[in-house]
Formats: sequence, C-alpha cells, structure tokens
Amino acid sequence: MEIKTQVYKRVVAVTVSGRVDSATAGDLEAALTALTNESHTNLVLDLAAVDFLSSSGLRVLVTTLKAVRKLGGDVRLAQPSQRAVDAINLAGLDVLFKVFPDRESAIGSY
Amino acid sequence: MAPTRTRSRLTLHSQTVAARLDQLEAVCGLVDQGAHSAGFDDRTSYACQLAVCEAAENIVKHGYRKPGAGDIRVTTRSRPGELIIDLVDSAPPFDPTAAMPDDDWEMTDPPVGGRGLLIIRRVMDDVHYERRGHRNHLRLRKRIQAPSE
Repeated sequence: MEIKTQVYKRVVAVTVSGRVDSATAGDLEAALTALTNESHTNLVLDLAAVDFLSSSGLRVLVTTLKAVRKLGGDVRLAQPSQRAVDAINLAGLDVLFKVFPDRESAIGSY
Repeated sequence: MAPTRTRSRLTLHSQTVAARLDQLEAVCGLVDQGAHSAGFDDRTSYACQLAVCEAAENIVKHGYRKPGAGDIRVTTRSRPGELIIDLVDSAPPFDPTAAMPDDDWEMTDPPVGGRGLLIIRRVMDDVHYERRGHRNHLRLRKRIQAPSE
C-alpha cells in the first residue's frame, strides 16, 4: 500500500493505492490520524488505485469520518476503484460516504 | 502451487499458512486460483477473497489472539459454478457464525466493527462452523450459475 498526501488551501487529498487490509490498515490510520491532529478535517480520499479493501481498511475510513465530522469536517471519496466500491457496498457503508467521479470534483465540493 | 484434480470436474488447492496478518494475501491468492478454477469472473473472485480473508483474519485475531501462535490450513474445492473453501485451525473454539453482524445503525453513529462478518454473510451462500476435536473447521461455499462448458 502507498499513501500520498497533497495539502490544498481548504482540503487535504490523500491518494491510497494497493492493498488495504489488516496488515496495512495501521499505516493508513496513522497517516489520517496525523492529519486530523493537525486540524485537517476536510479530507478527500482518492481510492482509484486501491485493489483490495478489507474491513480493517473500512474501519479506518469510518473511524476517521467520525473524528472529522465531530470537528465539522468530512471524508469524501474520489474515483474509487470498482474493488473499493464493492467492499464498501458489501459492508453496507455505501450510504455513509459522498462519492465523486473524479478528484477535482471531490476537492471542489468543500 | 499446481492444483490437484481428483476427478475430471473437481480441482483442489491446499496450503497451510502461519496465522499471521501478513499471510492473508497468500490466502487470497489461493482463493483466487480456486475461484477461477470454478469459472468465476474477477469480480466474484474478489468478493470471495474479501470474505475468506475476513474469516482468516478473525482466526488470527479472535482465535489464536497472538500473531504466529499457530497455523491455518486453507483448502479450496472447485467445480464449475461452485467454490468451497475450508479453513482449519487449532485455536481455541471460535464460531464466527454465532455472532450476528449489526446492520441496523444510525448515520450519526456508523459502526466501526462487525463489517467483516457482514461481508462474509453477503458474499457466501453457506457458512458452516464445526469444532472437531481440537480444531475449528469453517466451511464457506459460493455458487454461481455454472459456466457453460
């Protein structure tokens, strides 16, 4: 799994690629927690290159969403891969996240 | 690993992995082989990989409770349109079918846990647990309309 972060004026875009499972979810959680601790609460997760997303990864997404919503922020998903979408749907979490077809529209939604 | 064909239509794959989270990718690889032997498409194979990896993760975290404390034997049986996955471990008794995933929640308080069990139940047609001697046996079965041969 790789994580790349790009900080914009009002938004932070986090590009996640590869396999997000119980062996790697801790790294994603650490990266997202570091952002929220720095008061970055408007987050865009670019999941275009995620090729596996287990419940451990979903747990990190939900935990982060709950944390930033308490601070008035949100976690929005940009161009999630079909595999990321399938995992989110199977876990019954599809109603939870705002999903955008591309990165620009997700960033511009804030 | 080369599959074993016990009969013309049944293909077996089997592997024993250490009960560690870094071994789950290998479990997925075995399930992918089995799914394709059954004629499943990539998307159905992925769904099966998700479900089996959730089950294997539960064995590591809630069965053995300590990484590397034992192993998991994974066996797939494939025939056209059907995939059966058996997970056998020697952890203390742990029945993942006993827990009911909570799918009734509020948008203001979404669930952090329990998603793995929901994925298993949504993907698989049958999930069967049995304790035999000192081993846990978990069987997951997925069927699709048999591909034409």
